[in-house]
This record gives sequence, structure tokens and C-alpha cells, in this order.
Amino acid sequence: MADPNQGPEAFQALRDLVVGPERQRLDQLEAEFDGSRLTPDAIAEHLPEAIALRAGQDHHLARALGPTVESAISESVRRNPRQIATAIFPVLGPAIRKAIAEAMSGLVRSINTAIEHSFSVRGLRWRWESLRTGIPYAQIVIKHALLYRVEQVFLIHAETGLLLCHAAPPDLKVADADLISGMLTAIQDFVSDSFASAESGGKLRTFSVGELTVMVEPGPQAVLAAVVRGQAPDTLLPRLQDALENLHYQLAGPFATFDGDATPFESARPTLEACLETVLSTDRREPRTGPGLWLVWAVPIALVILIGLVLSIRSSRRWDAAVSRLRAEPGLVVVSAERSSGRWRLSGLRDPLAADPRTVLAAMGVDTATVDGQFAPFLSLQPDLVTARARRFLKAPESVTLSLRGDTLVARGTAPVAWNPAAGGTPVGVERVDWSGVEPVLTPEAALLRTEIERRRVLFDVGSANLGGADARLRQVAAAFQRLVSAAGGRPGSVRLDLIGRTDPTGTDATNQALSRLRGEAVGTRLAALGVPAGLITAIGVGIVQPLDEPNPADRARVNRSVSFVVRLVRAE
Amino acid sequence: MIQKKICMVGVFGAGKTCLVQQYVHSLFSTKYHSTVGVKIDRKTVALDGTDLTLLLWDLAGRDDAGDIAVSYLRGGHGIIYVVDGTRRETFEQIFELRTIVTKAIGEVPSVLALNKVDLTESWALQPADDAALAREPWKVIRTSAKTGEGVEASFAWLAKATLTGATQ
Repeated sequence: MADPNQGPEAFQALRDLVVGPERQRLDQLEAEFDGSRLTPDAIAEHLPEAIALRAGQDHHLARALGPTVESAISESVRRNPRQIATAIFPVLGPAIRKAIAEAMSGLVRSINTAIEHSFSVRGLRWRWESLRTGIPYAQIVIKHALLYRVEQVFLIHAETGLLLCHAAPPDLKVADADLISGMLTAIQDFVSDSFASAESGGKLRTFSVGELTVMVEPGPQAVLAAVVRGQAPDTLLPRLQDALENLHYQLAGPFATFDGDATPFESARPTLEACLETVLSTDRREPRTGPGLWLVWAVPIALVILIGLVLSIRSSRRWDAAVSRLRAEPGLVVVSAERSSGRWRLSGLRDPLAADPRTVLAAMGVDTATVDGQFAPFLSLQPDLVTARARRFLKAPESVTLSLRGDTLVARGTAPVAWNPAAGGTPVGVERVDWSGVEPVLTPEAALLRTEIERRRVLFDVGSANLGGADARLRQVAAAFQRLVSAAGGRPGSVRLDLIGRTDPTGTDATNQALSRLRGEAVGTRLAALGVPAGLITAIGVGIVQPLDEPNPADRARVNRSVSFVVRLVRAE
Repeated sequence: MIQKKICMVGVFGAGKTCLVQQYVHSLFSTKYHSTVGVKIDRKTVALDGTDLTLLLWDLAGRDDAGDIAVSYLRGGHGIIYVVDGTRRETFEQIFELRTIVTKAIGEVPSVLALNKVDLTESWALQPADDAALAREPWKVIRTSAKTGEGVEASFAWLAKATLTGATQ
């Protein structure tokens, strides 16, 4: 028989009774699980919020994604570098440009410095110092041009004096920074103990050694000490204070637990290095004041100007004197003498016979290369020029002097008998010529002929005008005279032959006068017959008036019964 | 790099400077003793493969222990007391010095260098004195500046002690 309390129903009822609540929860969980399955759609829907949410909570997401992102970028660069390059260019471009610009401006500054100091007096002095000491020129320039340089920065533990961190430029070798740090602390203590009262609690802040200044900035945990070469600016101390405050804040933990291990303080290095700097005087142009600098230039410039002025005045004076001399020069008329564009310009009139203006200027010390002259020709009526021109015109020999008396040209001196000035007329500027002062002279050859002629005499018998045997002698005289006339040349009639007839003292004066004349004429007739032009012969009877001198009285009468010869030179008219 | 500040104290003539002179790196001359009153040297000690730098503040010895410049002790990680075993007064004054030091900076690892042990014939300390020294919390090490005995050992012990905090 069936018992309602037995069978499958009863078992089901029992099961519901025992595990029913758990079963219900299992079903509920199953339904929940099915309903919230993380399908890609669902993830895609919530991913951005999820990432934002988690990133806001902690850094786990970044840490987890890091390697994936890095390898994704590497892979992308490997496959297509161009894409990444294009993407980051807007960032890299300006950065690169900035870096290059900075490097270039540094280079330009150093070139400027080098050029500025290369050729100045200071530059030469520095070069000499470089030569003398063997230190490279660049270092000498930096040493002198240095305004200031923060060479070292120490971060020192205040209590122990142990060095926490130290920064110096790479070119500066600093050994034993730890010992210096300790000693610096000791000296600080020493100064405080020695000089500061307990209440003030003062610390050594700044001290100088030669070119160096050590600036010490104390803090509760650490001391910042900066070694400065040169003139430290006022702005440096506040910067050190800022740096020290930042370090105290930044390194509060390591300070609290410091027990000799300086490793955590390595992170202070960038802050310390930021305090290092080098400032050259060439970086900061100081206003150049004070008398020293301009005097250095002004004195030579003033000297140069002064010398220039003196030279210019001297040159101007010399020029004025030279022009005055030119104006005084016969046959020169200076119309204008002026200076333009560095050259002297002269213009005027010049007689062809006047002196050369350049020669006159040169004689006065003027550099004729700087002179341009324009002189038109003209005839000057100044006496010197008139006589000079007349001399040329008349071909007057040197032995003749010419001068002007009013319109008359007066000639004086001696001239060869051949000279025939009247042939061409009167010279320009002269109305008349007075030749009366010119004595004709013979050439030496003609003078010999004259002596030969005048040495001879034709002797006569008592009371006779008969030539007798004198013919040969007369031929000689005729030939000699003809040679003389031809040797003298030139003006016809300028050489004449006078025949002087004489008698002995016996007889009357009238008889003697007539006889002497006859004798002369007889000789003249004969000479004319021998070819001497009759016009050149003049027969004169002097009787006994001008007897020939004869030392022997016995011969005196014989010698005077004669005709003697006189060659006469006739002046030009 | 780990550094420790070690102060050397002892009355005048105890031989502090002589004791360490050839074992340390010096930058400053002994003139500093008479001017600033302290001279700082460096001693590097290798400990278990790592280097430990000891900055040795060699304090000028005074005739009177009370004259010691307390400022220089500040922050010291260890102390080396130096006693001249041939001069009893240096032994007597070392206790007074220790009082001053501990008052200034508290108890720190210390070494008592009993110096000039090579001069046995003029040794001035009695066994009772050794016992008195042994009662103080410092490591007594017999040293000689002449032979170098105990010098390196003193540095090595003190270096280690500053790391571990041991006092004996």
C-alpha cells in the first residue's frame, strides 16, 4: 500500500525541506551569472569608464599596460617608422630647434668674445700672458672675462658635517670634498664658538679667500655651501636659500633617518647643479663709464686731428706762398687758385717765355702731383718778357745786354761783326732799337788776318807817290782783306779798309798833305784793281800829323814815307 | 656610500695624531690643531665587501680635559679615546673626558686606544688601571704608533660598531 509519506514526492518534499534555500540561491546565482556574461559588447561599452575609474584609484593599470604599450610602440616603429615620426614631429621639431639655437648662440658668444679680445690692447696683454704662462689663450680669456662662477656646491649634514652631495663642473677636479665639507663645518663651529654669543646663535655665512667667496646657507638639517669665483651677484644668495628649502622639503625622509648613508641624497644633485653657473663679463654688457676708457681713445684721436690740422695749415700756407710767388712771376697771370675735392686747381694766362708754373710751385715745396693747372698763352709787355722776346727775336749773343727805355730797346756790349740784328725789323713791343752801345768784334781767325794786314806798309821814295816794287805786298794785303771780309760775313760794309798816307817832315805842310793823299789813293787804286771792292776802301792823307812811331831816328823819315792799313769795323745802324 | 664621523679625543701629548697619521688620508696640515682646534682626515675601511668612510675629527689635545671643544663632537658616530700608557696623567684624565663627551653627544661606540705599548720599560699603568678601564663601555685596544699595532684593528672595530651599534 502506498504511504503518502513515502515515494518520490516524499523524497522531493524532504529535499526541498533540507536543501531548498541553498538550491534557490544556486538558481539565483546561475541566473545572475548568465545575465552578466562579459561579452565583448559589454566590455566595449564599459571599457573607457573602467579605465578612467581604475586610473583614478591607483597606478596598477599604468603598470600593467606599460610593457604592452612599450612593445606596441616598438613594433609600430619597426614596421613603419614614418608614422611615429610624423606623429611626434610637432613635439620634437621645436625642441630640436631650441637646442640648436641655444648651441649656436653659445658659439656666437664665444666667437664674439674671442674676436673682441683678439686685437685690443687687453687681448694682446692676455696673449702675452698665455705665452708667458703656457696656459691656453681661451682659459686666460675666461679667467679675465669671468664675472663670477659658482664652482662648487656642497650639501652638508648640519650635525655631523658629513658630505651629503657635491656638485662641480666636469672640468673642475675636486678631491676630498668630504674632508672639505667636514673642515667647513668645523670652521663654522669654530667661528660660532669663538665669536657668536649663545643667544644670537650666529653662523658663519660668507667668507672670502683671494678670488673665491664661500657662501654658506645654514638650514636645520643641512648646510648649503657654494664656492664662487669672482664677484657674486646679490641674486645668488636667495637662489641658494630657495634650493636649500626645496631640498629640506624634498628630502625630509632621508634627513630624518640619516645615519651616514648619503645614497638617498643623490637626488639632490640636479638642484645643486642648477646652482652652478658661469657668467662672463662679455655676457653682461656693463655701461662703460668713467674717464679711463674714453681717454684711451680720445687722446690719440685728438692728436691725430691736431697733427692733421697742423699739416693742413702748413700745406695751406705753403700753397698761399707758392701762389703769391706765381703771381709775382713775370709773364704769368693767375686768374684763380682754389681747392676742390682734395686737389688744387690753377687757371690763368702764361707768356710762352714765362717760367713753368709747376717748376715754380715745386721750388716752393708744393707737391705738383696734387695740382691741376690750365694756362692760356698770351704775350706779356712786362719789360723782362719784352727784352727776352727781343733777344730771341734778334738772336742776340750773350755778350749783348738788352734793356728797355720807354719804347726803345737799348743794346749794349760786344757782338760779332757778322751779327746783323736789323735784318728782321724791330721786335714785338719795341718801337726803336738803339744799337750804338754794341761794339763789333772779330772772330779770332779774322783778327789774325786784321793783324797781318795792319802790320804791312807800302814805302815810297822821297817826294814820290809811285808804288814802285810794292805790288807783291799789295796783292797779299788785297787777298788777306778779301778773306777777312768773307770770314766776317754777315752785314755788307761792316768791315772797311782805311789807307793812311804819310810823308817825312821835309817840305811844307800843304805839299806833304797832298803827297800823303796821293800816296793813299795810289794804293787804293791798285787794291781796287786787285779786286777789293772800291766802296770798302777809304784813302786818307794825314801828312805829318800822325807820324808812325819809330825808335831809330835815322829810319823815322823813311818809315813815314808810307801808306799803312787800318781795318775798321762799322757798327750796325 | 656610508660615512661616519669619528672623533679622536685625548689630552695633550697622548699621541692621537701620531697614532693615525700614516693610516689616514690627510688634506690639512697639523697647523689646524693650533688654529681651528681640529683637523679632519679620512680613513676608508672595507667591511664585508663594502667600503665605509670614516671622517676622523682629530680634536686638538689640551692640557686640561675640560677645555675640549664640545661643538666638534656633535653628531659623532664613534669616539676614539687615546691614552698614553707611559704617562699616567693621560689615563687619569680620560675618565673626565669621557664624561664630557657622553654628556655632549650621549653614548656612542667607542674605542680606548692604550697607546705606546712598545715602550714597555716606561709603562706607567698598573693591572688595577686596566681593570678600571675595562669597567667603562668602550673597547680597549692596545696600540703603538711606532709599530702600528692595534691601529687598523681600532678602525675596523669602530667602523663595524658604528654600523651595528655595539659598544664593546
